[in-house]
Formats: sequence, C-alpha cells, structure tokens
Amino acid sequence: MERSFKKEVETLRIGEGDKFHGEGILAVTKALLQSGVSYVGGYQGAPISHLMDVLSDAEPLLEELGVHFEVCANEASAAAMLAASVNYPIRGAVTWKSVVGTNVAADGLSNLASAGVKGGALIVVGEDYGEGSSIIQERTHAYAMKSSMCLLDPRPDLPTITRLVEEGFKLSEASNMPSILELRIRACHVYGYFDAKDNVQPIYSGKNKISEAEFDFSRVCLPPATYSQEKHKIEHRIPEAIRYISENNLNERLDGEVTKIGIIVQGGIYNTLLRALRQHGLADSFGSSQISILVLNVTYPLVSDEISEFCVGKDAVLVVEEGQPDFLEQAINAILRKQDLNTEIVGKEVFPMAGEYTSEVMLRGVHGFLKEYSPPELDVVEALNEIDRLFAERDEARDNIGDNLPSRTPSFCTGCPERPIFSALKIMEKELGSAHISADIGCHTFAALPPFNVGNTVMGYGLGLASSAGLNPNFHKRVISIMGDGGFWHNGMSSGVAAAQANGNDGVLLVIKNGYTSATGWQLLPSSLRDRHGNKREMSIEKVLKSFGISWLKTVRSYSIARMVKALRKAMTTPEGGLKVIIADGECQLARQRRVRTQVAERIAQGRRDIRTRFGVDEDLCTGDHSCIRLSGCPSLTIKPSSDPLRTDPVAHVDNDCVGCGTCGEVSHAAVLCPSFFEARIIRNANIFDRLLWKIRRKVIAFLAPGSAMADS
Amino acid sequence: MHNPEVVRPITIQVSAIGGEGGGVLSSWIVNAAKNAGLPVQSTSIPGVAQRTGATIYYIEIYPVSIGSLGNKRPVMALYPGVGDIDIMVASEIIEAGRAISNGFVTPDRTHLIASTHRVYAIGERSDMGDGRYDLKRLNDVAASRAKKTYFGDLREVARQNGVSLNAVLFGVLAGIGHLPMKLQDFRGAIEVSGIAVESNLKGFDIGYDFNFIEDRKALVHRVIEEEDRQNSQVAFGTRIREDFPKICHEILTEGVRRLINYQGHAYVEVYLDRLSSIIKKERKVGGDGKVTAETGRQLALRMTYEDVIRVAQLKTMPGRLERIRREVKAGESEPIIVVDYLKPGIEELCSILPATFGGYLANWAERRVWAKRSNFGIRLKSTTILGYLLLRALAGLRRWRCGTYRYLEEQKLIVNWLKDVDTALSMSGEVAIEVVECASLIKGYGDTYQRGLENYNSIREKIIMPLLSGRLPAENGGDAIANARAAALGDSEGTRLDLVLQEISNLVAHSPSE
Repeated sequence: MERSFKKEVETLRIGEGDKFHGEGILAVTKALLQSGVSYVGGYQGAPISHLMDVLSDAEPLLEELGVHFEVCANEASAAAMLAASVNYPIRGAVTWKSVVGTNVAADGLSNLASAGVKGGALIVVGEDYGEGSSIIQERTHAYAMKSSMCLLDPRPDLPTITRLVEEGFKLSEASNMPSILELRIRACHVYGYFDAKDNVQPIYSGKNKISEAEFDFSRVCLPPATYSQEKHKIEHRIPEAIRYISENNLNERLDGEVTKIGIIVQGGIYNTLLRALRQHGLADSFGSSQISILVLNVTYPLVSDEISEFCVGKDAVLVVEEGQPDFLEQAINAILRKQDLNTEIVGKEVFPMAGEYTSEVMLRGVHGFLKEYSPPELDVVEALNEIDRLFAERDEARDNIGDNLPSRTPSFCTGCPERPIFSALKIMEKELGSAHISADIGCHTFAALPPFNVGNTVMGYGLGLASSAGLNPNFHKRVISIMGDGGFWHNGMSSGVAAAQANGNDGVLLVIKNGYTSATGWQLLPSSLRDRHGNKREMSIEKVLKSFGISWLKTVRSYSIARMVKALRKAMTTPEGGLKVIIADGECQLARQRRVRTQVAERIAQGRRDIRTRFGVDEDLCTGDHSCIRLSGCPSLTIKPSSDPLRTDPVAHVDNDCVGCGTCGEVSHAAVLCPSFFEARIIRNANIFDRLLWKIRRKVIAFLAPGSAMADS
Repeated sequence: MHNPEVVRPITIQVSAIGGEGGGVLSSWIVNAAKNAGLPVQSTSIPGVAQRTGATIYYIEIYPVSIGSLGNKRPVMALYPGVGDIDIMVASEIIEAGRAISNGFVTPDRTHLIASTHRVYAIGERSDMGDGRYDLKRLNDVAASRAKKTYFGDLREVARQNGVSLNAVLFGVLAGIGHLPMKLQDFRGAIEVSGIAVESNLKGFDIGYDFNFIEDRKALVHRVIEEEDRQNSQVAFGTRIREDFPKICHEILTEGVRRLINYQGHAYVEVYLDRLSSIIKKERKVGGDGKVTAETGRQLALRMTYEDVIRVAQLKTMPGRLERIRREVKAGESEPIIVVDYLKPGIEELCSILPATFGGYLANWAERRVWAKRSNFGIRLKSTTILGYLLLRALAGLRRWRCGTYRYLEEQKLIVNWLKDVDTALSMSGEVAIEVVECASLIKGYGDTYQRGLENYNSIREKIIMPLLSGRLPAENGGDAIANARAAALGDSEGTRLDLVLQEISNLVAHSPSE
C-alpha cells in the first residue's frame, strides 16, 4: 500500500466530544463507522484508494464492530455487493474511482437501482476530474439521472462531508434509492477537522447474523417486476427522496442583503465560489455573502420548490456547475419555465462549457456575471477593475517568461521495472519496423509520453488485448497488446485472453507483472506473492494462461533487455499461430525499495556484508548525444553541465537516487550506444578478504597507471 | 486586491516535484499550525503527478485560534487563487516560474521562496544537443513579480549538510517570519512525525538561520570549485600567444592540453598548423578571430575522436577510481568493484586495424548486415588487475594510432571540413561560423556516430557545397545551415532534417544562378 495508516486508524476509535483531525477520505471512513455500516467494499483507484487502505489497516476495529471489509475484484463486483441491502435492512458502502469505475459498475448499478434497496446503500466515488487527471472527463451525474440514484455533492469541509455520509444512508432508506457520494480529488485529500461521534455497532453484522432469507419477486429484475420497479421510481422513490432532502435541509440557502441576483452552486465547488466572491469584496472568510447563495449538497434529484422559491423575485441567477452537459442549468431552466418565472439563468455563458472550475475559472466566471448583472446598489466597479488589472499583469509576466517552461510529464520512477520493457520494445522496433501497440491502463500508460512515445490506443482498464481484436487481422504485422497484472485480474483474462483464444487471435500479448496495482498505490492482487495477512498465495497468471490453452508463453525478467528483445522478436516472427504471451516479471521498484531498504539497514546495523550497486557515466567519454536518455528516461539518469571547457552540450549523469537496477547499462549494451556507463559495486561491512584484495588491486593499479613508476609510453 | 477584511486566511502554495518530499513538507506546515491551535486546511494533487510530475500542495491557515473563534468556522479554499497567495514555496526554480505564469505570485503580497537548482525535465534531458531552459528571463521576471524573493541553491545547502531539502525549506519558511506560529510549533511538527527527527531538525535549523544574502555568496563560492588543473603549465603557450589573437587563447590552450593527452606533441603541431592557416585567412578577410576560436574548439574535439584506444585510455586514467568513489559515495573502508559496459563490434575492430586491413574489413562488413550488427558484449571488471591490464594494453595501442584505418578516415573528414571553413570565410564570418558548428553533429559512438555523420554529409552536400559554389544565394546561407543543424538535432528519426533539406533543394533548383 502507498501509505500505512496504522497511526491514523487509531483516530477512527475516537467518539463524542473529540475532534477528528485528518484527510477527507479518512473522515468519510470514520463517518461510515458512525453510521452503523455492516459491510464495505470497493476497488482501488485515485483518489479513493486511501479509503480501502485505511479499512485494510483497521481490521481489528472492524472485527470489534462486526463490519465486513472486502477488496473487490473490480467495480462491477463492488456494485453487486450492494445486493445485500436489497432484501435486508443493513447498511453497506462501496467505493471506486469515477467516472471510469462507474462505467465498469454500470451493469450492477442499473440492476441495484431498479430493484431498489431496503437498507441504506452508499457509493462513495472519487471524482477524478480536471487537472492532473489521467481519465476521461465525463460526469457521474448522468449515471445518477439515468438509473435514479441520489447524487450527493457536499461542500468540501469535513463537517459537511461527514454529515452527508450519514444523511446519504438515511436518504437511501427513505427513498429506496442507492445514494452516490461524489468527492472531488481535492476534497478527498483535504486535511481538516470535525466533531466526532461514537461508532455505531450495526444491527445485523458478523456479530448478529440475519436469520431468515427473504424472497420478494418485486425485487427481482425480471418482467413484469422490472416495469413496476421503473414505475415505483417515478411514483414513490423520487418523490420520497425530494421530501427527505427538503425536510432535512440537505441543501443550504444562505441569504444575503442583495435581492436582485443570486447564485446556485454545486456543494463541491462552494468554497471556490466563496473565495471568488471574497476577492470581489462581496463575502467574508466565514461564508457570509452579500449575494444569496443556494448550495446544492444534493444535485440529483433537484427539489423544484427550493429552486423556484430561491429564484422568485430575482432578475438573474448564476448557476455554477462544473462539466458538461449542463444538466443542472437545463433542469433549473425547465423548473422556472413550468412555474412561469422569468428569472434569467446565467451559467455556461460566463463559464466554460467543459473543464474544471479552478480558482481562475471561478474568478473569471463570477467577474463576467457581475459585470453584466450586478444591480446598481452593489458597488463592484472598483473590484472588477482591479481583477482586470490582476489578469493583465499576470499575462504580461507570463509573456515575459515565455511559453517554453519545461513541462513535467509523469514518467516511470527511478528503477521502475516497466521502463526496460519499453526500451526493449523500442529496440525491437528499430529492427523490425514500427508496430501497433494497444496500450492499457496502469503506470505503463506513461510509455505514451516522452521519451518512449509508445502506445497507439488506450481503451480502458484491462482492455489492451480486447482492443486489438479488430485490428490484428487487418494489420500487416502482429499487433502487440499490453496488459498489467492489475488489468489482467480486473477483467483482462476473460475480456482479453479468453476471447482472443476463442477467436484465434494471432497477436502478441505483453503482460506486465509487477505484483501490485501500483498506479493506485500498491494494493495487493490475487497474484501478489502474499495476501494482506502475509500468507502465501497460490493464484498465478502463468497457471491461468496455461489452463486457457496458451502454448507460446515466456516469462522474462523485465530488466533483461537483451532477452526481452529476443522474446519480442520471436513472438513477432514465429510461424506459430495463436496468442503469444510474454510475461515481463519485475516487482514494482518503489514497493521493493521500501521493503529492501529496511532489510539492508538491518544488515548493515548488524555488521553483515552487503553490496550496494550504483551506475554512473564517465563524463569524459560522454559526447552529449543523450541517446541513452531517449531510450530510458530514468529520472536519475539526467544531465549536468560539462566540466570540459571544449564541450558546450551538457553530459549525461547518474544522480544519487540511482537504485542500481541496471537498465541504463543494459540499454547501452542492447542498443550498442556507448562505453560511458559503468556499474560500481560498493562493498559495505567488507570482510578481511575483500579489504585485502582491494588493497592489492589499488596498489597494483596505481603502479600500472600512466604517469606512475611504470611510466607512460 | 480589493478586500475590506483585515484578517483573512494566510495562503501558502508548495510546488514540488514528485518524490521530493513536498507532501511531508506540507504535513509539517499543517501540524505546526495545529500545534499553534489555528484552523488549518491543506489539500494536494498527487495522483499520477507523484511519478516525477509537478506536485502542488495548497495550505490555508487562519491566524486566529480555534478556541477564540467559538462556533465560527472559516471557509477555506481548496484551490490556490490568482493574486491570492501569501507565500509561495518552490522546491525548484522552474516551478517558481510556473507559479508566476499561473498568477500565484503577485507583487502586493507574495513572498517567493525558491531553491535555484535545476531538476531537468525530460524534454531538456533527451535533447540531442543542449535543450536546457535559459533561466535569465525567469530570474528577471521573478524579481519584479514577488513582494520579496528568497532565492538560493538550497539543495546544495541540504547536500553539504547531509539533510533533506524539504527540511531546509521548512526552516526557511519559518525563518522569514510571515506565519503566525512560534518556533516550537514548527519544531514540534517535525518531532511529532517521528521520522528522521534529528536530521530533519538539523535541516530545519539550517534553513531557519539561512541568510539569503551572505550565505548565498559563500555558497556560490563553494559550488564553483574549479576542477583541479595541476597540469596547468601550458605547453605551446608561446606559439599560441604569438600566432593567435587573445580571443583564441583560452580555447586553444584547452585544445592543446587535450591533444597532448590524446596523442602527443607532434599531433599538437598538426592542430596548430591547421588553425594557423584558418587565422591567416580570417585576418585577411578582416575577422577578429572568433571563427578561429570556434574552429579551435571543434577541431580539438574532432581530432580527439573516441576510438577504442581513447576509451581504454580514459577508463584507465589516474584518478578515475577516486572520482568514481566520490561520485558513488563509497566510504573510506568500503572497497568497490567497477564494471565497465563495453560492446565492441566490427567498427571498433576496424578502427584499430592498419588502414589497408581495416578498409578491407569495413568494406566487407558494409555488405553484410549480420557482420555490421555483430557485437561482443563485455562487462569488464576494470578494478581487477587483469581487467585493468587489458585496458592499459588497449590504451597502449595509441603509438600505432596514426596508421589506423579510422585515423585516416577521420583526417580526411577533418581536412574537407577545414577546406569548407576556409572557403566560407571568403563569403562571410557568419557563414563560416555555421560551417564550423556543423562539426558538432558528428559525435557519439556506433549508430549515433553514423547517424550524425550521415546528417553532416547530407547538410554538406545539399547546403554547404551549393552555397560555397554559388548555386545557393549567399544571403540565405547562414540561416539555412543553422536551420538544418537544428532540425538534425531536433529529432533522432531524421524526418525534420529531410523536410528542411527538401525545402533548400527547391531553392537551389529555382536559383537564378543555377
């Protein structure tokens, strides 16, 4: 796991009267326990991975409360897990990364939402939208609408978030609809505080099991029940949800002095809005605003009366809604139209249609709205001018710096076992010509960025091989598909391997096995060496592949570039039909270092012999061409100014973060680059033999060296 | 900013690079505020960015204690705001530039703390020549955009003291005195984390007491420790001084030093003779020696081309072992084993064979792909006596170097290049400099060398020759060469160069002087 939460887990035990300090996602975990949840499941992915990690570390506490925690195989299994709340009054929560995880879960969600729930069902989605996100920019909102699930988008402070977790369960029970709690990435990582409550022992749990099985055909997704379920949504569930939202004030109306204009905002971006208003001199640091604000902590279903009551009497209302389509703006317009209210709704005219509402976007949007619609009694002219000046000065500074600031794209870590695989691919391509690479989701997707620029399509997690099915028979050479071990277990073995075998796919599959779902923070996989309790596991990718009838199967250590090139060459050129699979085997270096570092420190402390390996470049041999960097891109293989006054180009240089994986040496060997690389093995706690040998060697070499007594020729 | 509120949250942004400990720094800041009983909120964008990308942490601290606020609770933002940052901490100088570009540094309020070292981005590192960002513009803008700047090579400070950079930055942040926390609140944050407490406190104290004017000067002095040049007794000093203008002295002295080490005094005579004829020509056309100086630099590099003999020589240089020991931080009592990654092939063999054999073998291999591609991967332990002796024996071949195939080939290329320079000088100094610079395309080993040579030859054939023979209009000359060279260095696949050359050959075809 990315982080150990052993220390934080203790804070999950605090109760009434204590203050909880911590990260957003940890606070959600605490709120789940305060809500008397019986079971929790999910599939890891930023930004909700920590919720899973925390629960995994919190096992003793969960046992005391009788709460079951499950690491699901994928999001579809997590969604299906909520089936427990269909027939029985028990609360359950699952979590994943949205929107991609919600896509995977969609089948289960449709059926769950159709059947309806008796016990509260909460889905915590980490909305990975906007800056730095590596996924498709779509809205979870569409799922809530099409499947009739409540969508909670709380104000991003811990008291509101934790309150909405508890309300989410109650809302789900009141309406029989599952609730989705949507948390943006910054809210997941927000550090703050709230007043804790006691944890609640669930009524039914591992400690007090359900004794009777319920059969209720109306909950089964088969006609005619399916049709009546849909009717039940319209006639009963949605109205009940609206009643609950309204009676319990889940949305917040914050009235200001100004009567002519107002703002409706999604809860999750309220803080950004408030800062923009403060920058206009219209709000203070405690949330008191001169313009009235309606904060939608529940964005689906909307409470029509709340909307119309807020808008009535106002000339214009700004709708602050992130993403597209503008579901809220359209819905609000429809509500006003039906009530024959003429308040003008302003939204995407002053805000961008797509993309994240960062502070700058918000500031410009609010600025645009006020410029046009600010009533005369509101004195904002000076503030508006000041903001114009601010942006003008910023743009000038930006021009002066220039637009060529070096960008920092993510890349493989120092010593990453995936780097040499792509070096090998590049070397193979030099020989056999370029290939079509169907990439997959994982750290290995970074191969599409410099310096490798490898990977033609990415279709989804575990879908690398499936996405070659159409091209392979139509392409002049075998298509190479990539799949990580995470993607393999998530769905790739069936959607990819089994399907390819059944359809006679003649392509090449490269399975990248590093032992963890590393991009999300080193969660364990079925094929990880040990489970989270430290017990050995028997599930293996090789065994699965063999049982599927794959006969061309090679496992290559990922750092052995020459052998990998050979295997790739063979796979591409062998006359043998059927799927050819190469498993590139190399443990995630970050995980390995974390383990090895403590072991080595122990050995050293005990005075035992240990060899540390590091690579280096002979500066005077490096001609500054940087081919080695273009074939590796290791962060510790960098450049430095040449100390040779005749050379103006910087030379390659290995910095002290080097973990000695040897990829740079292997690359320079396999690609026949240059003789500048050396490997240095440093013997620590050297024994007497080592030291004696070293003494002799040092003396003899000094004697043989040019300029010594032996003299130069 | 227009703002009636006197008390408002203090906003801090930390811009770091994945793996630099920005997250730990941000948690220290949060804990320091917590220790002082102040409302604090922080958030971050780690995600994939933590894998070597830029990472951003944003923190707000409300300067009134939670206790005295009663039921009131400040609403704190999750995004850094344009024009709304009090303290900006950049763990590397480019990140400071990015913050300025984003509007997070403004003259009315932002204190900008930055470590001035560089962590090169992939685009800068993978450039075929020198792709480093020029910091000059950034430095100028930074000074005018911040309320106050605190710039220093804090990574070097951390290194020299054996502490981590984020601890030093934390100390600096506390030391500039713009946060409402006390010294013990800051130190307590490090103590409570329980990890590497002693070293981090040491780093903190160094940062806290860092004097940005005095310490920076001292630091620069220490960093620019010139390489030891014991052999600074310059041979041929008199000839250089008498035959060449001052502008050439430094470079030629370096060139001479390099050539003596490479092949000996007789070879230096060749070097200086070649340059003498260039300076004569340059003086004749009224030049100040700039072309000769640059030719001197390139010629020294070209005449010391890297053959097997040179590689063996440099791998057995006295002092190499100690340099490696320093670089890899081997302790006093720690023996090391150095393994050199060598992969000689036919080409390397040809380079040390006598001209006739070498030529024959090279021709034979040229027609056989397998032979051309044959290499023998050797991992030579050069710290063993046998390994070292082997390298010394190879280095000893230098007494026969002047009869080798590679030597003759290189000299042919050099002579032709110098002839071009000579002709170009009669056209203009600008064109001549461009012709000289083209030598920089030929570098590296194996495929890299071959590709460089091919690029050089096509530029020579398609631009330089037409230009010198008058088939290409002279006014386009210098630029055309420079563009082609930039294209050749711009992508390793050669597509950009092909495009540029195509354009030029169209020009040649349409040229009226054709």
